[in-house]
Amino acid sequence: MTDGDYDYLIKLLALGDSGVGKTTFLYRYTDNKFNPKFITTVGIDFREKRVVYTASNTNGTTTGKTFKVHLQLWDTAGQERFRSLTTAFFRDAMGFLLMFDLTSQQSFLNVRNWMSQLQANAYCENPDIVLVGNKADLADQREVQEKQAKELADKYGIPYFETSAATGAEVDKSVITLLDLVMKRMEQCVDKPPAEPANGNGATKLSEAQPNEKKCAC
Amino acid sequence: MDLDFLQSLERERVLEVLQRDKQLRLMEEDRIRRMKCELQELRRRGAKSCARQYGERTCARCQRPLGKFWNSGDVCRGCSHRICSKCRVGVGAADWKCTVCHAYRDVKIRSGEWFLEEKFKKFPVTENKYETVGETLLKTYNVLSHISVVPPTPPPHLDQQFLSRSGSLKNSIPFTKSVEDLMVSFTSHMRKISTSQSDVQGGLLYVDGGRKGSCVTFSSQKSLSDTDINKSSRLFKVPSLPNLFKRSKDSDHEGSSTGAEEETSFSSEYSGGKRGSNSSICTDGGRFESIGVAGELELALAYSGDASCLEITVGACRNLSHGDARRRRCHPYVKFYVLPEKSGKMKTTVKKNTTDPVYNEVLKYQIERHLLFGKRLHASVWHSGTLRRKVFLGEILIPLDGWRCEDKASQCFNWYPLCPKAEGPDGGAAEQD
Repeated sequence: MTDGDYDYLIKLLALGDSGVGKTTFLYRYTDNKFNPKFITTVGIDFREKRVVYTASNTNGTTTGKTFKVHLQLWDTAGQERFRSLTTAFFRDAMGFLLMFDLTSQQSFLNVRNWMSQLQANAYCENPDIVLVGNKADLADQREVQEKQAKELADKYGIPYFETSAATGAEVDKSVITLLDLVMKRMEQCVDKPPAEPANGNGATKLSEAQPNEKKCAC
Repeated sequence: MDLDFLQSLERERVLEVLQRDKQLRLMEEDRIRRMKCELQELRRRGAKSCARQYGERTCARCQRPLGKFWNSGDVCRGCSHRICSKCRVGVGAADWKCTVCHAYRDVKIRSGEWFLEEKFKKFPVTENKYETVGETLLKTYNVLSHISVVPPTPPPHLDQQFLSRSGSLKNSIPFTKSVEDLMVSFTSHMRKISTSQSDVQGGLLYVDGGRKGSCVTFSSQKSLSDTDINKSSRLFKVPSLPNLFKRSKDSDHEGSSTGAEEETSFSSEYSGGKRGSNSSICTDGGRFESIGVAGELELALAYSGDASCLEITVGACRNLSHGDARRRRCHPYVKFYVLPEKSGKMKTTVKKNTTDPVYNEVLKYQIERHLLFGKRLHASVWHSGTLRRKVFLGEILIPLDGWRCEDKASQCFNWYPLCPKAEGPDGGAAEQD
């Protein structure tokens, strides 16, 4: 884990309300273990994992090229009092796992706020994000319906996954999907014509997002 | 951004995380450095050289001749050089790049450079765009936290100085104002050491890896003294104009002439040149548009003992200002002089419509090695506008004395931030001197 023998260092960051399971989610992803105890994260933390990424073309066929990817997964405190610290770290992450708790309607409603936090603080106006509804195993306590969440994700144009850190369901898949988005973004960033003004692009993205926010508020 | 709102235990906790992050970052920096060295090797091998007499009709990479009709090559969209069909990478007949441009693109992705550029577009204010939030915080709070007083195992040659210093620190626990000041200077000092220390570690790691295409800078640093290490870490981090001057002064005391003498002779020559008619610096002096100087220039310098010439490899520029701001156009090229004589004017080709031109050109300046002493390389970036109107985009000055031309491998590409003209738009400081 300590050698520099990898092709990419990709920095992802998990965010969302306190208690939605960001830490346990990442613990499940990196160590494949589950810790049901709730230990609130102090400010920030991170975990690491080496994965092998298989490159695919735009049409989805694999090119067979594999890369070693070192993932740095930043874990942020959901608590309000750490907010200024955690949001400052947004700008150094390449992709985001926006998490909410399927058993908490409030955590889902706050997704909108987190989105605007991201737009303000992430490295660009429209970073790569995956929406994650965690605690899918607690079916009897569920407050957020899949359809609801899916609609919100579609409005933002981001993928949605229902995961369970307890069972491990969809955990890997959601992270890999995000990784895939970031890897594609890298290529686009480098290959796009440099003449494109940076601000113009961002402004349109922001104005697109605003009507969406209005819609999902009702 | 600060951690003042945290309780001390919490702060400690966060700083521990940031320390861990630092370890990862050091590993990453080492990896990137290795990657860039490899890229430079590739560039050196396949760079278009102006010294060699060959026309348009050779491949810029393998230097094989190109036919008029058959195998006539094509122009790479990245570097605008004519490339034979074998030196291309990519899919399809239209979407290809030459080997060097492809490698450059690859490094840009793998080093995370793409991300820094994107981030820089949104947050252009950051002083050092390579610095992460975590790094900044860690630097700020190293002063207060006792974690920092025990640095991660210093390399053997630093041991004595280090222990004595940190020892004296531990003794002076009563926290008076002066001690605090001392502490601040100590940590800033220590920070410098630890950056270069990381280089040493990197070097060790590297040697263990047993790779080729080496980066010997690190191993040579191991033998340097404390101050030298500071110097070289500065060299690595910020080769901005004032620092370069400072550096040249630092290194001057090895030789006979002093930095001050150099300075005056240089500036008088400079203003003298201003009167001359053949200099385009001066002809443009009065006429250049006042555009903001921005961006960086990537250069590698090498001295070839066999050919007794200075080899200037021009890599690329990035984030240049638009020479024609109104039409958002930029056709940049780079021009060189060797000061103080202002001899050996050299130019790269002009790249069209880009603020991130890639040159990959080697310019050669014939000079005996011992004559390099006291010389400075002046590089300026210009926009080649319509009707031969040129717009100044920025310049850098690199002292050629004190610069060790022997160890080949240390001549990696370096990004130099472009500076505004040394003399003001209307004559200015340099002329008055």
